[in-house]
Amino acid sequence: MTQQELTPYLQANFDGKLTLLDTGRAEPMFEVKPDDLLSVTRRLRDDLQLKFDFLCNLGGVDTGQRLEVVYSIASTTKHLRMDFKVVLDSANPSINTITPVWPAANWYERELYELYGFEVKNHPDMRPLLLPEDWNQGHPMRKNWDAPDFIRMPEL
Amino acid sequence: MGVIKKLPVYTESIPGGALVVTNLEAVLNFGRSKSLWYLLFGTACCAIELMCTGASRYDFDRLGMIFRASPRQADLIIAAGTITKKMAPRLRKLYDQMSEPRYVIAMGGCTIKGGPFYYDSYSVEKGIDHIVPVDIYIPGCPPRPESLMEGCIHLQEVIRKQKLSQWQEK
Repeated sequence: MTQQELTPYLQANFDGKLTLLDTGRAEPMFEVKPDDLLSVTRRLRDDLQLKFDFLCNLGGVDTGQRLEVVYSIASTTKHLRMDFKVVLDSANPSINTITPVWPAANWYERELYELYGFEVKNHPDMRPLLLPEDWNQGHPMRKNWDAPDFIRMPEL
Repeated sequence: MGVIKKLPVYTESIPGGALVVTNLEAVLNFGRSKSLWYLLFGTACCAIELMCTGASRYDFDRLGMIFRASPRQADLIIAAGTITKKMAPRLRKLYDQMSEPRYVIAMGGCTIKGGPFYYDSYSVEKGIDHIVPVDIYIPGCPPRPESLMEGCIHLQEVIRKQKLSQWQEK
């Protein structure tokens, strides 16, 4: 399968669980419902046509209006790349862990919880990773975050 | 006899050599200022300049400065690089483990006031002077080796002027 054949294949074979987003980029970006995340990722990894075996990146996004988690994956044997994102519930952002599918997600998800405050359900090891041990100032990558010694760049 | 000129000494020839009477404070300070062993503590890009200063082109050794990997053997801590909030307690711990007299050089903008991380940063300590007492500040991002050597020479001057009683008070 080539990169060009990837998008039609995903749209035909994933029961509508992958929605193509219009980003204008060469690599397709899909949206996945939070409830479908585990089944979709497992199928992306195990499908013999796709074999997405490599989690390149996992990051959180806070646009100010909505919260997202973005995943970038690649197939080292089939030479494919794709991105997909999960839009979270703003009031109660939580997501299923994908560490059982791609173990590389372990530290990313710990970081995701610390910096964005997204609850990661069923994660095997949720110890703090990056912030100081005595950190009690919340989740600093959220747009509405503030702290006493946090100084915003003045408008120029 | 450049060494003798810098010390307040009285010399008198006696059979078999010379008698030298001097000031204990001056001799101690002279020794301390010429053997500043510094702790290897590079936390960011300033450490590259520190390494460059330690290498043969600039040669820290000619100031009597040799790097030490243990705070127990160090007199000076050159905080070279960004100190994050997570690193700050470690810096304090290393400083506490050093034996007195001990000195601190804050190298680069990050250690003075947060540098480029002053705005919009949740993780960087804005100046190390509220973690450890700083003797010399060296501005720059990062400072050139010349600036670092200048700072060290200034520190030597500070040390030469200090009083013995100063350490009892601390």
